[in-house]
Amino acid sequence: MTHSHTHAAGRRTGTSSRHGGRSAVPVPPQIPDRRGPGGRRLLGVLLLVGLLASVLPWWLGTPAGSLRTTAATVTSAGRITGLVAGYLLLVQVLMMSRLPVLERWIGGEHMARWHRDVGATLLVTVLAHMSLILVGYADLRKQSILAEVGTLLGDYEDMVSAFVAAGIMMLVGFSSIRAIRRALPYEMWHLLHLSSYLVLLLGFGHQFTHGAQLYRPGPVRTGWIALYLLVIAALLWGRVIAPLAFNLRYKLRVADVVAESTDTISIYLTGERLGRLAMLGGQHFRWRFLTRGCWWQSHPFSVSAAANGRWLRVTVKVVGTHTADLRDLEPGTRVWAEGPSGTFTAAHRLGERALLIAGGSGITPIRAMLEELPPGAALIYRARTPADVLLSRELDWLAQERDTSVWYVIGSRDDPGPRQLMSPDGLRQLVPDVARRDVYLCGPPGLVEQSVRALRRAGVPRRQIHLATFEL
Amino acid sequence: MRRALLAITGLAASTTALVVFKGSPGTSQVAQNLPTAQPVNPSGPGTDAGAAAGAPGTDPAGGTPTSSGSAKPSTSPKPGKTTARPSGTKTTKAPSAPRTTTKAPQSTTRRVTGNGFDAIDDSQKYGFVQVQIVVSGNRIVDAVALSLPSGGESDIHSGDVRTAYDGSGAEVVQKQSANLNTVSGATATSDAYKNSLRSAIEKAF
Repeated sequence: MTHSHTHAAGRRTGTSSRHGGRSAVPVPPQIPDRRGPGGRRLLGVLLLVGLLASVLPWWLGTPAGSLRTTAATVTSAGRITGLVAGYLLLVQVLMMSRLPVLERWIGGEHMARWHRDVGATLLVTVLAHMSLILVGYADLRKQSILAEVGTLLGDYEDMVSAFVAAGIMMLVGFSSIRAIRRALPYEMWHLLHLSSYLVLLLGFGHQFTHGAQLYRPGPVRTGWIALYLLVIAALLWGRVIAPLAFNLRYKLRVADVVAESTDTISIYLTGERLGRLAMLGGQHFRWRFLTRGCWWQSHPFSVSAAANGRWLRVTVKVVGTHTADLRDLEPGTRVWAEGPSGTFTAAHRLGERALLIAGGSGITPIRAMLEELPPGAALIYRARTPADVLLSRELDWLAQERDTSVWYVIGSRDDPGPRQLMSPDGLRQLVPDVARRDVYLCGPPGLVEQSVRALRRAGVPRRQIHLATFEL
Repeated sequence: MRRALLAITGLAASTTALVVFKGSPGTSQVAQNLPTAQPVNPSGPGTDAGAAAGAPGTDPAGGTPTSSGSAKPSTSPKPGKTTARPSGTKTTKAPSAPRTTTKAPQSTTRRVTGNGFDAIDDSQKYGFVQVQIVVSGNRIVDAVALSLPSGGESDIHSGDVRTAYDGSGAEVVQKQSANLNTVSGATATSDAYKNSLRSAIEKAF
């Protein structure tokens, strides 16, 4: 399928991608070794062991048969849930620390899903902890629950901040329920979510002044404080020190902005020592373009070309006001980048053959990955209209160079062609060995959901399906 | 989300399992546990009885109660009293405690002993609590617990209560009232301490 695709999207009416995405010097294709899910499993086991260890102090400190009354039993359950909640909160923060090791082992995509699941669990655990302790203590003192709330707030040190922390956590939790979250503007949701750090701070005190297992000096208390310190160190390292080191080392700057289609631009970046930048196609960075209107916003964009030692490129669909500003970036603008992160890469494949399904601007990480996948990959590229097809010249080049089959599937989701093709039978017809391939999916949520369903019915095991999700 | 539901269910189930397991121990554990639980209790009431009985008898008001208040009563154990069974006898003793100090020392400092209270909650009675304060002018300058629950874990909790409240630099003196922060893990003892302290303050001012 051929079509003209270079209209001016920005003020530069240049050609799309001067180099055609090719580096000037032909670089031999480098296929990264497979990494496998070992790291992820190890971390999962470690976290589970930690969970058990966090309840252990209660187990050792409670003599068998000592829970003879309802009050004591309920209070005990409250203590267990309290310990678990304290631990899960630390896990949550750790997973959001962007520690390079975690980003490499687990990747933002999995981490985001873990974070969501652990978050829901944490919220329920905290609610359980509060209600159990309240009921238990009220029973103990023979007063109503409301009176007990008063006693806790009035008589107990650090309880006010603990209640505030719980309130914030509930707010954060409920605002993250998908339906509510969609109704909120992103910035507001993000700000709300940032306030979770306050939970860490405000919830800290009451654990040590009143935690039955923690208030007494000893190994348990020391260990718990050490856990906090470790997580804060991870946070500092992942959010401050590692990005600082990265940016001081590579000093990225905008080299050029070119139009790829009516509403899509490519930003080329240069810097120092790029030859030593360890980055895989399909990974993303969080970018901050340091100009007056843009510096305060950070956006995750995938690189749209594999590492070539000379430049980086991101290809961005201009949708919001912020991305519209990106069209006017001046060459030489300093760029603050955090990354690279993500496990949506050739290195995380399970086998040697792959099927890639891209929708719209979801082609960008896949375009970069194609350079690193073993030959013989297949690409299905969904776009609404021919004008929405991006980087087609580069894809044609890759199809030749890397022995890749490329299908452009144009049309709305409800057109008969795309519908037939994106069904289990259609996929099997197009790629007969689809069930044995790694499938990489990147595109709008609707397309991803539909494809996953079709793929599962076509017999592709879940672990062979790789998703690129940036949103948190 | 499915995994979150699984995790929540798993946590709820295992928490219940843990609590149930600790609450109703197997037969072997009952056998182990009852004897250890028993001696703890008699030793608690024993010292309580001693303290409650010793207080009126020796009337430490004018004397110089050392800071180790609980050690003092235990030095004069009445053999008959120690065998007294807990609950019934003690509640009758508690009211017997109210007495204000008879002779105020030469200086302006006075010692005032509060009423005794049981440290008690649903599951058990931990022991007897009685507080004495030293008042100089209209300030509390020192506080000492003449009796606190003892034996087994109670020693630890009572120690915590003592460190938090007792002494010239501790919370009672700082707050100048019975409005104290509850000591963790020693809710019942804290409450009894506050009650006794409150009665002492009422008598003193």
